[in-house]
Amino acid sequence: MVAGPISVPLEVYRYRPGVDRAPTYQRYTLDAAPHTPLLSLLLRIRAETDPTLSLRYSCRSSICGSCAMRINSRSRLACETPVGPEIERHGRIVVEPMASQPVVRDLVVDQSPFWQRYNAIEPHLKVDPRHPMPEGQPNPMTPAEVERFHDTPRCIACAACYSACPAVAADPAFPGPMALAKLYRFVVDPRDAAHQDRLVRIQTEGLWLCLRCHLCTEACPKNVRPSERIRDLKEMAIAAQGATEHGSRHAVGFKENLRTAGTLHESRLVRQTFGVAGMLGQLPQGLRIWRKKPEVLHRPKPIEGLEELEKIYDALDAQEKEGGR
Amino acid sequence: MLRHEVVVVGAGLAGQRAALAAVEAGRDVALLTKLHPLRSHSGAAQGGINAAVGAGDSVETHIFDTVKGSDYLGDQDAIEFFCREAGPTVVEMEHFGTIFSRADDGSLARRPFGGAHFPRTIYAADRTGLALLQALWERLGKEHFTLYAEWDVTSLIVRDGKLQGLVALDRTRGEFQEIAAKAVVLATGPAGRIYAKTTNAHSCTGDGIAVAYDAGAALKDMEFVQFHPTALLESSILITEGARGEGGLLKNASGERFMFRYAPNVQELASRDVVSRAIVTEVKEGRGFPGPYGGYVHLELMHLGKEKVESRLQEICDYARRFAGIDPVTEPIPVYPAQHYMMGGIGTDVHGATNVPGLFAAGEAACVSIHGANRLGGNSLLETLVFGREAGKAAAAFAATAPTPQVHDADLEGATAPLRAWSSRSDGEDPSALRAEMQRTMEECAGIYRNEAGLLEGIRRIRALRQRFANVRVVDRSTVFNLNLTDALETGHMLELAEVILVGAFARTESRGAHSRTDYPKRDDARWMRHTLARRSTDGPVLDYAPVGFTRFEPTERVY
Repeated sequence: MVAGPISVPLEVYRYRPGVDRAPTYQRYTLDAAPHTPLLSLLLRIRAETDPTLSLRYSCRSSICGSCAMRINSRSRLACETPVGPEIERHGRIVVEPMASQPVVRDLVVDQSPFWQRYNAIEPHLKVDPRHPMPEGQPNPMTPAEVERFHDTPRCIACAACYSACPAVAADPAFPGPMALAKLYRFVVDPRDAAHQDRLVRIQTEGLWLCLRCHLCTEACPKNVRPSERIRDLKEMAIAAQGATEHGSRHAVGFKENLRTAGTLHESRLVRQTFGVAGMLGQLPQGLRIWRKKPEVLHRPKPIEGLEELEKIYDALDAQEKEGGR
Repeated sequence: MLRHEVVVVGAGLAGQRAALAAVEAGRDVALLTKLHPLRSHSGAAQGGINAAVGAGDSVETHIFDTVKGSDYLGDQDAIEFFCREAGPTVVEMEHFGTIFSRADDGSLARRPFGGAHFPRTIYAADRTGLALLQALWERLGKEHFTLYAEWDVTSLIVRDGKLQGLVALDRTRGEFQEIAAKAVVLATGPAGRIYAKTTNAHSCTGDGIAVAYDAGAALKDMEFVQFHPTALLESSILITEGARGEGGLLKNASGERFMFRYAPNVQELASRDVVSRAIVTEVKEGRGFPGPYGGYVHLELMHLGKEKVESRLQEICDYARRFAGIDPVTEPIPVYPAQHYMMGGIGTDVHGATNVPGLFAAGEAACVSIHGANRLGGNSLLETLVFGREAGKAAAAFAATAPTPQVHDADLEGATAPLRAWSSRSDGEDPSALRAEMQRTMEECAGIYRNEAGLLEGIRRIRALRQRFANVRVVDRSTVFNLNLTDALETGHMLELAEVILVGAFARTESRGAHSRTDYPKRDDARWMRHTLARRSTDGPVLDYAPVGFTRFEPTERVY
């Protein structure tokens, strides 16, 4: 049942800002059974060889969200990362602090940017004073309504998604996967009275900056699947307000393009996204494309088999009308 | 120097609820925690929260079950108050936004739990603590208060027997700070890490209990330590009682449902002390499974079906798969008891008041006592919210009329001089090594079964460790996020509490609830139906006793 110990070479990021000139990677090699979680090894280092190694940890059972870090470049919880598979795949384990958050020391990062984004979505129930909650009684909620939360209530705010997200790294205006999954949790809550306001606001506050790379969903240790909930938010936002933002107009235009021709008519998509006046801003880019590949800007010929594509769209529309997906 | 009217230490459910109550009472409130509030150990609670709201259930039955579960050491007046508050408390948390699991008719779903006559445990899958913690933090987030996250309390400032404030270490800056306060609420949770095998988080080191003890507060019933019957083998990660509530079975190596022999009426759903002793006895008498991590028994969920196991026990499915490589849908889970809960703590009344004016406590750090000698599953989440709120209200009322606290720079100097000395030693004891020896000692000498020789040996060993701790050395000289320093702080706290547990257990020559003396196997109501109170002295804990609050439930033999 228990495999024998293997040798686990670790390279651990060490850095004290203001004290050390630059980060270094310290090597430790320990023997451990392959199923041993990385956190256990880091704690063994602290207890047995080097008490100066600094990191966050608490529950060791993937529920407190403290020990997220980059492990062989992937953002995940050290407490639920067994060392065996890492060694098999990479031959060593490189342990680094999470990305997009300044290093405080070693593996400890300053999470205030993460918490600020979480607070910005106003993560609390907003109740309509005209419809107060039932006095002395819980609000009724059917199991089907609970299902609508998907796995968002499992979020432990570990920030692994935040660390993995390239949009967070690139654009401070992007709320990040965790905050958006949290927003989704309130938007589908039958007790919350501000669904519409929340959806309208998020359209201009970063919703459309998501790159749809799904790295958040891959990183999440609790199966929250933030990218799928972001997709849901986008659909709900368009349904609530129509396509008012560049992002939503691009999405709607994209769909319309595919439906009419089975491929993109780039210049038309630019107009659909930015409007006629807005196209002026895209002129330099347009000129560059025109010089290199002018055919991209022409109206494309409908693709072969467009009828099949249309059937798919019709079927999807019918399904949407029924309310399923 | 920082000043607040009310400082709440610990930001789990009890601390947050206390802070909310104090803010609502109009006080200037600070919430201080060595973690981020959402990382508190309350979030690890799995099974649920008790409230007798189902048709056919009654508050009376909840009261009786709790009194019986406590092995008649719980204060019946306090338990009556506690159980009456259950319904409104759960409703309040639902209104705050908690996403509970639901029955088909849209009401709150309930599951059976050990020691209860009725399915009265309301839950959110098997992450009820997390669901409550999220909702309370979201609710509290609407209020104005000061958050000191990643600050460790190091001592309380008491003058003429009255609380004036506290001293804490700001981990991120590496600075000790004084905070003047008219009232302090300690809600720092348990000290489970005193033991080698515990379901508790690494952060559960009893800091608040220890600083209260140092400041002259009486600790109550510290010898009563609950061992959870079903902790995952090796890691001791908790497998919720909800697993048995949903129909999970315990089997020994010959496939026998051995609980029939220990609790013929309710088998797996006997109270925790009973089930834990049964498992230990099975293994000790050779009927367990052997293995490199010690003997164990099986918890079987396979017969419940994939759908039920994966929906209602989603987290523990993940735990078993990730941490033991076991799929509970198709395989039994190897389990063995591990330290789980401390019935004892800082002695308080039902309003959280301690014997030190201005000092309040709530949650697992406190002992009211409603759990007596053994806590029922589903009662601790309820306790954090009911008594967190009471303590917050009482602290706010106290602060409203309290004089300006007297805190001087010399207090900070005096309180931190010994701690700073740890870092200037060129030679001394390693806190991690002392901690490991303490954990081994407590496991061997103050575990599920205890006896005089073992407890004496434990006292001797812990006192020796405390002497060595006087020469503890912190080798990390960096100021920022110095875990070597916080390790030493926590180890010092735990060593003090370990001694109190042992001394209380040695003195109590009976078996009651979770305290099982093999040399005194019977409950002795004539001598021991009373609370232990431990106060600090230079020669170790001084014990005193207090009567149990008694209303109408005559003690009878406890059979499940």
